[in-house]
Formats: sequence, C-alpha cells, structure tokens
Amino acid sequence: MRESLEKRVRAARSRAAIRAWEYRQRNHAKGMWHRLRRLLADASAAYALTEPAARELLAEGYPPDPVGERMEPPKILLWATAERLGSIIEKHPIPVRLGADFLTARYVALVRFDDETATSTRNSDGATPQTTL
Amino acid sequence: MSPSFLAPSTPSFAAGVSPPYTAIVEFRRRLLRTLEAMQPVLEEAGVLVVGSEVPNLIEPNAAATLVVSQDVDLAIPVQRLAAVKARLPEVQGLHPSVEEPSVWIPDASDLIEVNFIGMDSTLKDPLEAHVLEDDELPLLVFGALSLVRPGTPVRVEGLTIPVPRLAGLLVEKLLTDRGGEKGDRDLLVALALLVLAREEDLAEIDETYVALVPELRHTICSNLAILSLMESRPGMPDPGPHRARIAALLRRLEGVKEAPG
Repeated sequence: MRESLEKRVRAARSRAAIRAWEYRQRNHAKGMWHRLRRLLADASAAYALTEPAARELLAEGYPPDPVGERMEPPKILLWATAERLGSIIEKHPIPVRLGADFLTARYVALVRFDDETATSTRNSDGATPQTTL
Repeated sequence: MSPSFLAPSTPSFAAGVSPPYTAIVEFRRRLLRTLEAMQPVLEEAGVLVVGSEVPNLIEPNAAATLVVSQDVDLAIPVQRLAAVKARLPEVQGLHPSVEEPSVWIPDASDLIEVNFIGMDSTLKDPLEAHVLEDDELPLLVFGALSLVRPGTPVRVEGLTIPVPRLAGLLVEKLLTDRGGEKGDRDLLVALALLVLAREEDLAEIDETYVALVPELRHTICSNLAILSLMESRPGMPDPGPHRARIAALLRRLEGVKEAPG
C-alpha cells in the first residue's frame, strides 16, 4: 500500500476514535464545551449583567439555564427577551462566542433568535419549537 | 424558508473582504477548464465532483465566488474504477503525481489539481476509511461519501458537470472532523450549501440524519454549533448573517424522530 494513502487512512481512523471518545464524554465534564456552544448557537445576542440586574430577572421568573449552573464556578446564564432587557440599564453587550467576555462574565442574559420581541422563559431543556426552516 | 436564501438572489457566498473580482474570475476559469479536461472521466456513470468546489459550481452560472481550495475532488464509484481508468488516457493537460497517483497535477498553471477519491454506496459505516489498491489509480475510500447521491448535473459553458444532491453532501461536510483549517473549511462549505438548501433538501437532510447512529448525529449537531460561533474570514462565507438559519436547522434536526418500527 502506498505510504501516503496509508497515512491518511490511519489519520482518519484516529479521528474516528477521538470522535467516539468525545461522544462518550458528552454528558461529562469534557462535554461542557459542546453544551455551551449549543446554548450560544440559539442566542442572537448576549449581555453581561450586574448581579442586581440578574437577580431582578431571576425574581421575575426568568430561570437560570442548567448549563451555567453546572459550571465551576457556577455562572448565571438566563434567557430573556430583548424587550425586557431593553429596560435594564446595568448590562453591556458581549460577543455571542466562547470568548473572554463570555467566559469571564458571572451573569449573562441571552436572547433567542425568535424571542427578540416575544416573551419567553424557556431554558435549554425546553422543547418548545421556534422558527423552523 | 426565506426566499432570500435561494440561489438566484445569492450573488456571492463570500462576505467581508472578498477576493478581488479578477481573482474570482480567474479561479472560475481554471476550475471550469480543469473539469473540461476531465470530461472523459466525468462522463462515466456515477462519477461526481464532490468537496468544496460543489458550492462554487451550483452557484448561479457556476460563479465560483468561494475560494476555499485550489483543487477539485472527483469521487469515483469503486465499482466503476476499471471504466474510469479506461478513460484516463483521454485526459489532456494533467498527469498523475509520482508520489501519489490519486492526485493529478496540471501541466500548466491554467488548470488546478484533481484529487481522485473512492466512493462506495454499499458501505454501511460512514466512519470507515480504507485504501482500494490499484497500481494506476489507488483510491482512498471514505465511508462518509456513501451518504452522497447524484444530483442534477450543472450545465455551464458547454460542460456537463455531475454534482451530488445537496443534502448528502451537506451531511457529509457536517461529519467533518473538527479543528484545524481543513475542519473549518468543511464547515464553511456546509454553510454555503445550507444557504442554498430548499425545503426538499432539508427534508432529505432529515432523512439522512435520522438514519445515522447517535454518535454521528451528535457530531453533526456539535459541528453546527461550532459553525454558528465561527468568526468571519476574508473571502469565505460569513456565518454571522446565517446564524438564525443554523439555529433553526439545529432545532429541526434535534426534533427529528425515527419512524416507529
């Protein structure tokens, strides 16, 4: 067998083994990054909040997302509407990305693509369908 | 689906700083001339252009605005290898690499490299990879290409170019291995395909997705999430304007249920 093709086969099999390992890890600590990315994929916008602003939203019934609660240290990640967030002054927009702004913020409000005007309190475990293709 | 995602209103995939117009025109010319040189092979039943050049070819008038690679992949059904080899002497302007005969190198700079890969629709495992030994045209056979089906050929400038159906190719791209430049490019190619997907394509994606084992379904959703958060790159499709569409596909796939029984 030609060495160049054999090397590519070995690389493909190695990647498949890594993929299988990642799949087995999905519900454990190593799966946290996927869960965070999956959460952010649904968000059209993200805002770092002050603690009082986050407490205010929590008190209104906007629940913290389980993904943030499982982080160490725990992070308050909650879904809110753009309408509701519009009246909160103590916030600043951060990139919807696994970057420094997101990772260092202790309190983050996320806006779903379809909740930019609607009212919603769903979290990442919610199953209510939104915009469909 | 929003009509704005359809091909006729999509003049270019690339956002931000696009390659210069002359570079796009030049690349398109080289791509089409290469496929013209490969027509004897492309005429063989089942042979398909696959990989990152497909979005370029299915753009209106094969505009080729997406410059993600400098070669073109031809998928050869392993059952047709002998017939394809019989056509190779008719190919002018390219020759096999000495080190790797599955790669054909242009004799002059007006063509691009051609990479022959193997496709076997009878393979059950999309993760399988093996070499089909052959002295003249050895092929690396990728199981993921078993998800690809022939689509409507692209007809441009007198050429008939066999391309796959969009759904299978998109799923194949979303099964890419994350990380690295190659993985990122594959995901951006998947985005370019998603932008062009119509409802019937999405329904076919559902069918393909639900037939996969859970591990591969997870890989697809994981890669869609990665794609959603990728930053734009010059001359490449920008995920930013299409994030809502990516999120909708994620939700759609996560909601797909296997048929009972």
